[in-house]
Amino acid sequence: MLNRTTWRSRVAVHATLVLLVVWSILPFVWTLQTSIKFTRDVAARTPVLWGYETTSNAYNAFWLDDDEINMWTVLGYLVAVALICTALGVIGRRVERSWPFNVGIIAVLAAAAWWFPRQFEVADEYDFFINSLIVTVATVLISISIGLLAGYGLARYTGVSGAVILIVALAFRALPRTAFILPYFFIAKELNLLDSRFAIVMSLVAVNQPFTIWMLRSFFMDVPKELEESAMIDGCSRFQAFRKVIVPVMWPGVIATALFTMLLAYNEFLFIRVLAPTEWTLPVAIVSLTGGESSRTITEAAAASVSITLPIVIVIVLFQKHLVKGLGAGAVKG
Amino acid sequence: MKSKTFWGFTLPSVVIMIVLMVVPLVTTIWLSFNQLLLRDLDTVTWVGWGNYTEVLGDAEFWRAVRWTLLYVAITVPINMAFGLGVALLLDRVTRGRPIYIAALLLPFIVTPVVGTLIFKDLFERGGLITYVWELATGDPFAITEGNVRWLIVIQSVWHVMPFMMVAFFAGLQSLPTDRLEAAAIDGAGFWRNLWHIVIPHLSSISLFVVLISVMDAYRVYDSVFVFAGRRFESAQTLQVYNVAVATQADIGRIGKGNAIAVLNVIGIFVVLVPFLYKSYKDQIAERL
Repeated sequence: MLNRTTWRSRVAVHATLVLLVVWSILPFVWTLQTSIKFTRDVAARTPVLWGYETTSNAYNAFWLDDDEINMWTVLGYLVAVALICTALGVIGRRVERSWPFNVGIIAVLAAAAWWFPRQFEVADEYDFFINSLIVTVATVLISISIGLLAGYGLARYTGVSGAVILIVALAFRALPRTAFILPYFFIAKELNLLDSRFAIVMSLVAVNQPFTIWMLRSFFMDVPKELEESAMIDGCSRFQAFRKVIVPVMWPGVIATALFTMLLAYNEFLFIRVLAPTEWTLPVAIVSLTGGESSRTITEAAAASVSITLPIVIVIVLFQKHLVKGLGAGAVKG
Repeated sequence: MKSKTFWGFTLPSVVIMIVLMVVPLVTTIWLSFNQLLLRDLDTVTWVGWGNYTEVLGDAEFWRAVRWTLLYVAITVPINMAFGLGVALLLDRVTRGRPIYIAALLLPFIVTPVVGTLIFKDLFERGGLITYVWELATGDPFAITEGNVRWLIVIQSVWHVMPFMMVAFFAGLQSLPTDRLEAAAIDGAGFWRNLWHIVIPHLSSISLFVVLISVMDAYRVYDSVFVFAGRRFESAQTLQVYNVAVATQADIGRIGKGNAIAVLNVIGIFVVLVPFLYKSYKDQIAERL
């Protein structure tokens, strides 16, 4: 806001920001180094800060629990997958049609997830990872497809019922989870749907729907009406205009909304804890690890925490602009 | 757009919200008038206002209410002031800004239960802060009934502040520079600018941010569950207390839990109704 910058004030600003960054990432750094320590160093009364011997035991214990295995082969497998995806992504950004490359990345990731348990002897936790993956992807796909339609309708329709739907949705958005979770449990139990991914996905889609339609609607409002009107004069139906003209124009808004939906599903704890007695996703699996007090589970929980955070770090690095835009859009437009 | 087309687009979403939000909400209200135990879900007995009179007479319920209100009253202003401050700092740098934002956003978008667990680990036996505390005071730090509420508040600053920061930062980007230049010619200092130009400009964003953060603080679950869940019942907020009442093994009481949930909903609506009314007016005005 002010441009009176002397070098001294600039140094002060950067120094403060660096301190804030340290405050933000300190727990992550601490957990990362706990996860690669031997338990004797973790249990030491005086923390061993450097010069300690590193190990991948905790990762092995959480994901594989295989005494014979050489963890370097696992790392090699993961690095190879990451390199292929990066290569596809980099090429995809340079060519005109990027979607075949994006599909390629998804295919490679899916194949890697499918192959992994066939290549290595995995622990039960791998199932929880797969559950996380399926729940997240399904929630995003269903939420966004339904939300896109509704968001568009609500942005263009001028009747009073549109306003009523928006306000009721806003009210639902404010409600605590506890207003829904007990009936969900009760109904799921009656319908024999406990432990089913379907019940979890549908409950997440539902509680997320108000947020999705408000956010997508705000992005549709930015697209001028004239755009689809001219497309419709050229002979498109309303739906064709929506699909071929409007959605491509506001695609960055779709990405932003999809990212927040993805985080919501990936991070969900309460619903899965209540609706799934055994078929957990990763957050519930990690919390269940921390009941014990032994240093062995401390390193294992640290390794699990690092594993679950890694995809989120990748999302921040790749999609920071969309995230900031999404948070800003909600705030600026209300 | 014609009404028929509108419903064609909106129906799937509306059906989902009715089936999966309105129906459960009605079920919540209905169950709150019944006696229903977790270990025997087939026996539903009508008890009228029984659950409500029991909850309202419970000291634990009122303790959770007081602590939740206190939590909202402490964390929302701290996070807003802190978030505005960091947004102003970010606004003054250009080099390295994406890196700062990425690092500062991480606590906000990390899985909340995991973020809380790793934050708490710093204060546990063998944790970094426990050790630094011991160097400074001679005694190792330990999480107790007395300080766990403070830790919950500090963790909330770590976790929620980045949201306010990004919202205010977005608002600062749309600040009219000509007014600031005019103020600079008049010799206005940083604080006068902040008070007379920046804060008024951010006021509409602030209303939204206050609303979202009050709602989110009121219904906080994950972080308080990790800190207080089993060890420190006195630090349970309303939602944690609510779920605990309903789902504790063997003694889970779903009817009573639903009564607490209904009281919760009434509580949030008292705060929300004026805002909903204003939004509705805005929506109608947009349509004329």
